[in-house]
Amino acid sequence: MEQELAARLVGGLKEAGISFVSYLPETRLSQIVPLLREDPSFMVAAVANESEAVSIAAGASLGGRPAAVYMEGSGIYVASYNLLVLGRRLGVPMLLLAAYYGSILDKRNSFLYAMPGIHMIPILQSLDIQHEVLDKGDSLEDKIKGAVKMMHAIKQPVALLFTGEFTA
Amino acid sequence: MKRSDCFDFLAPLIKEQLVIGSLSGQRVEWGDRCQHEGNLLVASMGAALGVGIGLAMVLPRRKVIVLESDGSMLLSLYNLPTLGNINPANLVVFVFDNEVYSGTRISEPSATAGKTDLAAVARGCGIEQSTTVRDLESFKREAAKALAENVLRFVVCKVDQTTGHRQIQRPNEDLWEHKYRFVRYLERTEGKEIFKGRG
Repeated sequence: MEQELAARLVGGLKEAGISFVSYLPETRLSQIVPLLREDPSFMVAAVANESEAVSIAAGASLGGRPAAVYMEGSGIYVASYNLLVLGRRLGVPMLLLAAYYGSILDKRNSFLYAMPGIHMIPILQSLDIQHEVLDKGDSLEDKIKGAVKMMHAIKQPVALLFTGEFTA
Repeated sequence: MKRSDCFDFLAPLIKEQLVIGSLSGQRVEWGDRCQHEGNLLVASMGAALGVGIGLAMVLPRRKVIVLESDGSMLLSLYNLPTLGNINPANLVVFVFDNEVYSGTRISEPSATAGKTDLAAVARGCGIEQSTTVRDLESFKREAAKALAENVLRFVVCKVDQTTGHRQIQRPNEDLWEHKYRFVRYLERTEGKEIFKGRG
């Protein structure tokens, strides 16, 4: 991802009121990590597993800091149980920022990524998690703001899946 | 040592602290002994410690107490390296370790009945104040220290396999109601809005 897009993504999170990010970095969006760490308006938690990224974000959210989880798309699979029991069953708002690897517009797609990419949206649908695919930077800030507004409205996780320009 | 005896000691000490619980009989037993609005019993294995870490990070002036079980802790061992690195001074973890999956009704041994030493695992992850207690007096001593001091503690409490919780009537408060009660308590006592958005 170009540095300018990374800066806009982080700026969009800040503008939308996100102030806590738990994360397990990956290849496509990782430029956002140093930006998040450098900005004192974000509290960040580096984790070892996307399941705990979700549970830590849930705690932060319930403690009053609107929270996001940044991960590779594979993290949706890994974290699906915690997304179900904390996100859906308990009803905790959080924004999921997932690199939509293995999608048709993923510029680094290969036989390694395609299969998990193909099944990612069906997994989100089965969890009934609202999601939006972003492949261009157009209206990025508005889309983040809308997703955050949605997560607060329904008190559930909402996912933004980044592909296309974000995976260059 | 019985878990219920530990809870009988701990419950009257809970004032402003937040108590995060996982699943199994301990959820029922703790909820029966302590109706504190700052209880958040997430009713899931492998999630309570993570939730506790997040709360401890964003509310550094609050003591956060996490009640875990051996089964739940074994399911989420990935929390321990993260906990060691973040090192929240306001967090204490009690793992009530009966060395079995008692909810299965067949008393299937957990890994802690074998070679696994959870306190040693926690120490290996950088959690310096990690210990195991095997009797009620030791538990009381560790619990009193944990509540009084501002340092991350991880206390494995070896307890008997008991079934007393099966005689306790389960709460009819569902999880959304439980969450709202917890969040409204925090909003009131922290003086801030947590759930954003108004109709």
